[in-house]
Amino acid sequence: MVEQVNSFAIKTKNVSVHYGNKMAIDDVTINFTKNDVTSLIGPSGCGKSTFLRCLNRMNDVIESCKVQGEFLLNGVTDIYGDSIQVETLREKIGMVFQKPNPFPKSIFENVAYGPKIHGLASTQSELNDIVMESLNRAGLYEEVKDRMDDIATGLSGGQQQRLCIARAIAIRPEIILMDEPCSALDPIATARIEELINELKEKYTIIIVTHSMSQASRISQRTAFFHLGKLIEHGDTSKIFTKPDKEQTNDYITGRFG
Amino acid sequence: MDRMENTHTDKNFEQKLKQLQDDLIKMSEIVEKQIEIAVNVIKTKDSQDAQLTQNLDEQVDVAERDVRDLSFEIMTLHRPVASDLRLVFTALKVSKELERMGDHSRNLAKRATSISSTFDDELIEQMYSLGRNVQSMVNQVLDSFFKKDELKAKTSWNQDAEIDKEYKSLLKNLIERMHNKETSVVDEGTRPILIAKSLERIGDHATNIAEEVIFNITGHYIDLKKSDFE
Repeated sequence: MVEQVNSFAIKTKNVSVHYGNKMAIDDVTINFTKNDVTSLIGPSGCGKSTFLRCLNRMNDVIESCKVQGEFLLNGVTDIYGDSIQVETLREKIGMVFQKPNPFPKSIFENVAYGPKIHGLASTQSELNDIVMESLNRAGLYEEVKDRMDDIATGLSGGQQQRLCIARAIAIRPEIILMDEPCSALDPIATARIEELINELKEKYTIIIVTHSMSQASRISQRTAFFHLGKLIEHGDTSKIFTKPDKEQTNDYITGRFG
Repeated sequence: MDRMENTHTDKNFEQKLKQLQDDLIKMSEIVEKQIEIAVNVIKTKDSQDAQLTQNLDEQVDVAERDVRDLSFEIMTLHRPVASDLRLVFTALKVSKELERMGDHSRNLAKRATSISSTFDDELIEQMYSLGRNVQSMVNQVLDSFFKKDELKAKTSWNQDAEIDKEYKSLLKNLIERMHNKETSVVDEGTRPILIAKSLERIGDHATNIAEEVIFNITGHYIDLKKSDFE
C-alpha cells in the first residue's frame, strides 16, 4: 500500500469543477505516476486545461470557479488543504503556458527570480549555479551563456519557451504542468521542447495538455482523453493509440469527429 | 458496430481507407476464384483453366502492389492510429498471404493438368476433397475479415487441423501405393505430393490471415493453439 501511495505524484478523486452553473469537469478520478509524462487530450472545451490548472490551484483566482473533489500530492498532502500554502504548492508544481511569457527582464533575472523569492540561494554564487544548472537542463545555456544580461523577450519563440521551462525548474519542482507548450512554435523548436520533455521526465513528473495527438503519442507514457468534462479513457499511450478500449477514444484519435 | 461505418472527418482519408478495403475485397475475390478453378483442375485437368489461374495470378500481383502502395501512402500522408492503423497494418499482411495463396493455386493447377488420366481415382478424389475443404476455409476466413467476425476467424483457423489431418492421410496413402509399386502412382512421381503440399500451404496462409483478422479486431496477436474454440 505504501509503495502504491509513493508511486503517484498526484492522485485525484471525484473531481468536479463548475464555472458558475456550468459544469466544466464531471467526476474525474485519475492518478499521475511519478516520472511519467502524461498527455491530456480532447477537443476544445473538454475540460483538459481546466483540470490541469486545478492541479496547482491556478483556478483559485477565477471567482466563479468552484473546485470539488480530492487532490493529493505524493498521495498524502491535500493540495486544497490548510497544510500547504499555495506558494509552496507552486514551488512543487510548476507550470509552463501555451504562449512563452518571459518577464521583461534579463535572461538571468528570469531564471533567478523564482529561487530568489523562494529563498533557495543564500549567496550570489549559489544563485548563479541554480541559474546555470536550470538553463543547462532546459537545453538553453549554450545558446545564451554569452548574453545573460540581454532582455529575455529578444529571444526566439522556442528559446523563450525553453527559458520558461528553465524558470519553472529553477525552483526545483517535483511536477511540471504544461499547457500546450508548443502550439506557438515551429517544428524545429517543437522538436527541441519534446526532446527536453523526454529528458526532464528522468527527474520530474510532467503533465501536458496538447492538441497534437502525434505529440501526445511521441512524448508521453500515459494519455488521458477528456470529452465534455468527463475522463473517457486513461491508459498507456501505446495502447490508447493502437487499441483504445472506448469507441469514443478511437473516434477522436482517428479523426472521426462527426 | 463496424468501425468503418463511422464518418471520418477527413474525407480524403476516409476515401482512401475505403479504397484500401475495396482493393482487398477485389484481391480476395480473384484469389478465391483462382483456388476454385485450381481445385476443379485436379478433376478436369483442363489446361485452359490452368492457364486462367496463371492469368489471374498476374492480376493478384498487381492487386498486391496496389494495396502496398496505397497503405504506404496512407501511412505517409495520414499517419493512421488505432483502428485505422490496425486496418492498414492488417491489409498489408493479408495481401501478402493472398499473393502466396495465388502462387500455390497457379502451381497446383499447372501440375494437375499433367497428371495422367489413368491415375488412381480414389487419390484424385482425396486431393479434390482436400482442395474443397481448403477452399471453404479460405472463403470463411476472408468473410471473417470483411465482417470483422472474431469467432468466425477462430473457427476457420481451427479448420486447419482437419486439413492437416487430411493432407497427412493423403500422403500416407500415396506413399503406401508407391511402396506397393502401383504403376499409375509411381509414374506420377512427386507431382501429386506437390499438389497436396500446395493445398496444405494455402491452408497455412489462411490460418495466418485468421491471426491477422483477430489482431485487426482485438489489437492483440493471440496464440490460437491455446484457445478454446467455443
